Amino acid sequence: MQIEIRGLRKVYPGGVTALDGIDLTIPPGVFGLLGPNGSGKTTLMRILATLLEPSAGEAYVDGHDVRHDKAAIRRMLGYMPQEFGFYPSLTVYETLDYFGLLCRINDPSERRSRVEQSLGRANLDEVAGRRVSTLSGGMKQRLGIAQALLNDPSVLIVDEPTAGLDPEERMRLRNLLVELAAGRIVILSTHIVSDISVTAERLAILDRGRVLFAGPVAELLAPLEGRTWIIDIGEEELGQIREQYFVTGVFRSATGMQVRVIADEMADSRGYSAAPTLDDAYVTTMKQEARLDDVA
Amino acid sequence: MTWPELRASAAMIRREHQLACRSAAFWAMVALGSLLVLWRATVPGTSAALAAYQTRQTIVLGVGVVAIFLGGAAARDRRYAVSELVLAKPWGSSPALVVTRFLGVCFSLLGATAIMLLVSGVGQAVLGGTPWRPGPYVVALLVSAIPIGLATALGFSLATLFTTPLASGIAALYWVVIPLTRAHLPMAFDVTLWQDWPKSLLLGAALVSLTAALYARSARREGGSGRRAGWTAALLFAAALAAVLVVTARGDDGLLEPDPVLSAMASQVAVEDRGAPGFWLTDSEGRLVGLSDFRGGPVVLAFWGPGAPHSARALTLLDEVAGEFQQQGLACIAVLLDRDAAAMRLFGGEGEDGVLLLWDRGRHFGDGMEWSDSPLAVSYGVTAVPTAFLIDQKGTLVAGLHGESNLHRLRPAILRLLGER
Repeated sequence: MQIEIRGLRKVYPGGVTALDGIDLTIPPGVFGLLGPNGSGKTTLMRILATLLEPSAGEAYVDGHDVRHDKAAIRRMLGYMPQEFGFYPSLTVYETLDYFGLLCRINDPSERRSRVEQSLGRANLDEVAGRRVSTLSGGMKQRLGIAQALLNDPSVLIVDEPTAGLDPEERMRLRNLLVELAAGRIVILSTHIVSDISVTAERLAILDRGRVLFAGPVAELLAPLEGRTWIIDIGEEELGQIREQYFVTGVFRSATGMQVRVIADEMADSRGYSAAPTLDDAYVTTMKQEARLDDVA
Repeated sequence: MTWPELRASAAMIRREHQLACRSAAFWAMVALGSLLVLWRATVPGTSAALAAYQTRQTIVLGVGVVAIFLGGAAARDRRYAVSELVLAKPWGSSPALVVTRFLGVCFSLLGATAIMLLVSGVGQAVLGGTPWRPGPYVVALLVSAIPIGLATALGFSLATLFTTPLASGIAALYWVVIPLTRAHLPMAFDVTLWQDWPKSLLLGAALVSLTAALYARSARREGGSGRRAGWTAALLFAAALAAVLVVTARGDDGLLEPDPVLSAMASQVAVEDRGAPGFWLTDSEGRLVGLSDFRGGPVVLAFWGPGAPHSARALTLLDEVAGEFQQQGLACIAVLLDRDAAAMRLFGGEGEDGVLLLWDRGRHFGDGMEWSDSPLAVSYGVTAVPTAFLIDQKGTLVAGLHGESNLHRLRPAILRLLGER
């Protein structure tokens, strides 16, 4: 099972091009979609979730065309959009039961068992009887995941699931996504790099509707192996370092500041080699793209 | 549809019902409506039928407006940002879902109607001091179902298609303005009348079907265009309503569907000592009854209307008169003046065996009439209710007693007429 996307374009009525010829192959496992706000991630997800018609190109979910086989795709799909809510007057259990009906789980006992299963997976058993209006933001996000799991989907699409969550809730949600990835495709869209670095095996970086990179995380990191450095500097040196090197991150340390830089060779004696991170790779990719644009 | 699918649809209706009746607005509406109907039902002497009639009038207007605001499932989904979750589900854009949601809201509003009728019944029996009978309340619930369903269909369709509560507001304005307007042209658009139930049922079914067909497309529409569509609809509606009201104000709005029988009935003139204007009116079973059916015996023809509750007392007087002069062959006819046939359904079982209840079936008729738009009332020159006429064995109009204060003269007039014979 996989998702095939070929030459996908989406131009909104106002003339804004959200996707500009996307080609992607998404196999089972957690697949990260990384990109700044407005890069086209949500548009791509909404097309895959059959909520939006593409302007051109093709997309197939397990062989089903997103244009013509909507019903088949929705049966195998769990979708959690970026912004969503629930009916505040229903309880958590009733909400899931309602969405279970929308999933066409017609048999009451099967629906009950699916609802209980989803509650358990999202760790919401204890609040099953509570009205949705009384839930915290993190619980609502988990309820969003729970409703997406009701039909035991083989494709799970989650758009910015960790936005607005506290660190503990964020970690819990990431762990849940990793657990869910066994045997299914989980597409995780985010602009938070750490969400992907701890969950995804493969990723795509999107910018202004185009794919800048698509492949295994290791492949993205490979060009930076041996070229990533950390330098301990004084605060007053930051400007000079920025002129000298391509800086991917600045951190405060016990003795002053630490900067992460990408360079083929390290001339500064204080610099030492470090393992590249996804942050380094993402910043480098985005910077290269900006430079190419400048040249163009 | 298979049995599990039917059960799932019933479960969905239950959930929709929960969604509607867990809102504060819903219970505020029930509380306010209950107070209103209680206030009217506890007036001493109010019969079960009158209480049920008044409750029905209140409910159709009040619940109709609330139905319109509760109606739009898509507008509600947008308000709570649930649209995308719903649409991504296998059943999320199904026409069957739209129908199920519509039925769920209807079910809630009929529940509210039942509560208000119960409150009215208890008030009437305990504080009104008249015998409680379940019949009129059950009938009131039944004859309210279609107008309420249609109100819900109106609001549901507009709000679902335009995905904005503004559209519901438009429907609510229609619901309030049209039934309250007594002129001919707007009344032709009154969809609350019981006799028009086939038209209302068709209109409601057509609206819901259209909504079901267009739902998925409209629900996906971006908020901006939804709002634009809502505003466009609002402006078009306001323009149409203004045009109707301007025509009405000029006084040149004619009958949309002139009825030669009604026109002929209304063209007669009642003059004492001349032949009484004839009629063909329907009884509570829908059968046509004419004055000629009573040739050979004296007839009391009384006009009354539940819109003027005190006039219902004429029924009590007629009951007494009918019992008293039954042996002498006196026929007592109570003509109910109301443009809504629902009144006949409610009061049909009210009279005793001796009084025949007929409905002056004219509508869109009799400009300036206070109580009804009824051709027979026009021909008899009825300007106030209750009014009674005495017709002799030959069909001659013997006496006309206009207004409640003159009704005490009815018995002496009958005695005089019978004495002459």
